[in-house]
Amino acid sequence: MSILEVKNLHVEVEDTEKKVRKEILKGVNLTIKTGEIHAIMGPNGTGKSTLSETIMGNPHYYVTQGNILIDGESILKMTVDERARKGLFLAMQYPAEIQGVTNVEFLRAAINARRPKDKPVPVTDFLNDLDQNLNLLDMSESMTERYLNQGFSGGEKKRNEILQMLMIKPKFGVLDEIDSGLDIDALKVVSRGINAMRSSSFGALMITHYQRLLNYVVPDVVHVMMDGRIVKDGTSELAKKLEDEGYAGLRDELGLHIKLTDED
Amino acid sequence: MKSDRYQELKHASQLHQEPDWLTAQRLNAFDLIGQLKLPHMQRFAYENWPLTKQRNLVWQDSKEQMLDKQSTANLIQIGETKVQRKFDPRLDKKGVIFADLFAVLKSRPELIKNYLMKQVIKYEENKLTAYHMAYMNCGYVLYLPSNCVINKPIEVDLVQDCTNKNAWIPHILIIAEKGSQVKIVQHLKTIGNEPNTANMVMEVVAKANSHIEISSLEELNKNTLFYFNRRANIAENAHVEWAIGLMNNCDTVGDLDSELIGEGSYANSKAIAITSGKQKVGFNNRVTNRGLHTTGLINQRGVLLDSSKLIFDGIGQIVHGAHGSNADQKNRVLMMSDEAKGDANPLLLIDENDVIAAHAASVGPVDKMQMYYLMSRGISYAKAQRLVIRGFLGAVIDAIPAKNVRQNMIDILERKLIREQNKQH
Ligand SMILES: Nc1ncnc2c1ncn2[C@@H]1O[C@H](COP(=O)(O)OP(=O)(O)OP(=O)(O)O)[C@@H](O)[C@H]1O
Ligand SMILES: [Mg+2]
Repeated sequence: MSILEVKNLHVEVEDTEKKVRKEILKGVNLTIKTGEIHAIMGPNGTGKSTLSETIMGNPHYYVTQGNILIDGESILKMTVDERARKGLFLAMQYPAEIQGVTNVEFLRAAINARRPKDKPVPVTDFLNDLDQNLNLLDMSESMTERYLNQGFSGGEKKRNEILQMLMIKPKFGVLDEIDSGLDIDALKVVSRGINAMRSSSFGALMITHYQRLLNYVVPDVVHVMMDGRIVKDGTSELAKKLEDEGYAGLRDELGLHIKLTDED
Repeated sequence: MKSDRYQELKHASQLHQEPDWLTAQRLNAFDLIGQLKLPHMQRFAYENWPLTKQRNLVWQDSKEQMLDKQSTANLIQIGETKVQRKFDPRLDKKGVIFADLFAVLKSRPELIKNYLMKQVIKYEENKLTAYHMAYMNCGYVLYLPSNCVINKPIEVDLVQDCTNKNAWIPHILIIAEKGSQVKIVQHLKTIGNEPNTANMVMEVVAKANSHIEISSLEELNKNTLFYFNRRANIAENAHVEWAIGLMNNCDTVGDLDSELIGEGSYANSKAIAITSGKQKVGFNNRVTNRGLHTTGLINQRGVLLDSSKLIFDGIGQIVHGAHGSNADQKNRVLMMSDEAKGDANPLLLIDENDVIAAHAASVGPVDKMQMYYLMSRGISYAKAQRLVIRGFLGAVIDAIPAKNVRQNMIDILERKLIREQNKQH
């Protein structure tokens, strides 16, 4: 079993125009064990992506306090690629496109990055695994010969993120709005992919705005984030309640003084 | 009283059993070498390069330099020697001519006489074209009759033989009659280490409604001194695309020209260059809109390593009278080292006012978001950097129709970048 711990995490970002830093995460605590699926919900702009990017090590985000640990070891000083090789995976809201690098070559490079230099993944093993995962995600083989995310539709990019996760087999998957922009069928397919990862050696943190995803991938824990903090934990019932009542209700119930972005 | 060199040249041409007109043309050109100027390059000094010094016209036999590894190319020349020609006989029957320049000189002398440095690139244009005409010693011809469509790319390997001292002066003539279509994939490389001049001229005649795609992967040796001049004359509604990969290790000066002469003609001129060591490369990529409603696109990418220098000018010119024309160019260079000097200047010369012209130039670092994405999958900084650079060059790599050549280009790129990265760490 592995544990991903976020302890009292404070994070600032720099406003590129005003050149001033502002605090986005104001003390986040979170513990995810392999075998568990966690969901985070929360209003726009509360810091959900900031949390996932900070876990991955995106250099735009500055940790000012607190720690992030995998199995007790702090990863804050690790580079992005080191964190990935420690077992972290981030399915991004906006995956980059790279012309000239095929999807399949990229996948192989990612897998081989985790192996000794002189022991690359055997071609047949790789291709078998790829075939299986393509099948699972209803993706055609031709997608793998295309350039990385180049010209992929929004939904195809999301599927491709899940394909990478299935191939790389991380310990922890952070999925930032993997369900946004997916049609109903694609949502089922992507959920199938995530469920296929479910095992005692995989844990996930899913960020979502919609309860629908949680019908397909039933979480063990649901967290609500508001204004840079996790304000409530619950089961999937909590997600259903939020869907019905919105965030304002929960805020008032908790007696928080936070302005939601769509309120005037 | 003519000089010894003149007599030697005359003698060599006659010994080679060349027709009188060719000997005469060589000798006319010879007389011009001393009188003409070097081609003009902005902010790129190369006056001291010995580009016209080697003055022997000899045909060496390079058969024994045959490479072990079997190339699939349709035509292979090593030095001045043809070592392989594999071509669909049905195309021969249709009237396609595809052979060694001097073989075609024997079988279809009038074709060569009509075009050779008379219509597209004239030998009297500058010192280096004159030198080329005087001493040209190899090359090939591709002639497509009207409406002949060849789908499979034609691959040509041209190998500079530097196991001996001898200038390498290939001449390439491509004539596409009306409505014909072809893709050509060239691969230039060097064997041996003798310092030699390479002077390549490529003339392309794209007649009405023809469609020609030319890609070229080039990896000449560092001891070579390379001049090239490639130009296409493009007639009504004809379409020419270039994808030139200058992966050479040698000092290079060159011109790539597309002349949009006919109404509705189109050119897309893509080029990439990777420079390393103390290499100096100066290169003009020029598209000239002359006809009505013509479209000229330039897309150039350069990657500079070490203390190399790369001047990569895109020159779009819309000539008076070319109404309704469109010119666009994108020039970008990536500096991988502080000592490198590079520029990708878009120059736009417009004589008309109802034309659309745009340009963009940038000199910048490696794309950060792409780096982050790749590294978030566990890929190391160095490997991610190489993949991002490949992405940066993607538009040209992608335009090469032959998969093996594309892969070859990628491999060369990887090797160069790994060498550079190892130096930095
Ligand atoms: N790189 C950045 N530069 C400047 N501001 C940023 C940056 N990243 C995040 N922010 C700001 O931090 C706040 C939190 O953003 P974040 O993307 O984490 O929200 P979120 O909870 O993911 O919202 P959403 O539900 O809309 O995706 C926002 O006000 C946002 O504008
Ligand atoms: Mg977000």
